[in-house]
Amino acid sequence: MKKAAIGLYVLITVGLMIWGFYQAIYVAPNDAMQGELSRIFYYHVPTAMLCFLFFAISLVGSIGYLTYRRGNPLRAQAADALALAGAEIGVIYCTVVLITGPIWGRRAWGIWWTWDWRLTTTLVLWLIYVSYLLLRRFAAGPQVQTLAAVLGIFGALDVPIVYMSNRWFRTQHPAPVFGGDSDSGFKDPLMLHAFGWNILAWFAWGILVLCFRYYVERRQQKIAANEAQEALDA
Amino acid sequence: MDTKAILDHQFVVAAYIVTWVIQLGYLAWLGMKWRAQKREVARIAKMPR
Repeated sequence: MKKAAIGLYVLITVGLMIWGFYQAIYVAPNDAMQGELSRIFYYHVPTAMLCFLFFAISLVGSIGYLTYRRGNPLRAQAADALALAGAEIGVIYCTVVLITGPIWGRRAWGIWWTWDWRLTTTLVLWLIYVSYLLLRRFAAGPQVQTLAAVLGIFGALDVPIVYMSNRWFRTQHPAPVFGGDSDSGFKDPLMLHAFGWNILAWFAWGILVLCFRYYVERRQQKIAANEAQEALDA
Repeated sequence: MDTKAILDHQFVVAAYIVTWVIQLGYLAWLGMKWRAQKREVARIAKMPR
């Protein structure tokens, strides 16, 4: 039953990805100003929005770990696995954003990169969470999970700054697609549909990968606990 | 197609390819980690207590 449900979810996700791609490439019209180049937004903007979601999941996991680490170690381990999974998927999404953005910028602006507020704060966010993952990968000892949780919480503080950066400071980055001034948003409903389907598709994909990563980390924790027990028994 | 349209198309293709390479590359890495764990769990299960 569980395997069938997972299989069904994978099928739905793959279907959404194909449908989202079809909408972005074949259905949505070209932008009047940018032409075909605007189709990069159908991948760039949804992944940017969703990386915030995965960093928020990591924040919840980090707070959960710090809350339960003394009173309920089993729940704390589950929260820690969630924090790691959220941070890792968030970094993957943020990497996509930081690469597809400059690809668009090279054609639209003529430059790969500029130290604009939105770009810089996003790079800082990425660097914080990469350092989180490096800490977890290379540090050892009983305090690693606690240090990582604290870093995860502070890293998440950058998310609202990234979100607000192109509202507070109008520099190079385009104005917000949603939640900006009265002129923001897609003018053509077909563009909006393509955008909506790609948000849904990348959300489904991200949740699928997040669950997989969480499962792998939980099993890793069990293997580590087993090895520790073996060492004690020897 | 003029040169501008061809270049725009190439940049769109590049962005989509990069996105999929990153996402599928990560999934492949996760899959390898999962398989290695499966072998580890099987090894632990075979060990005499």
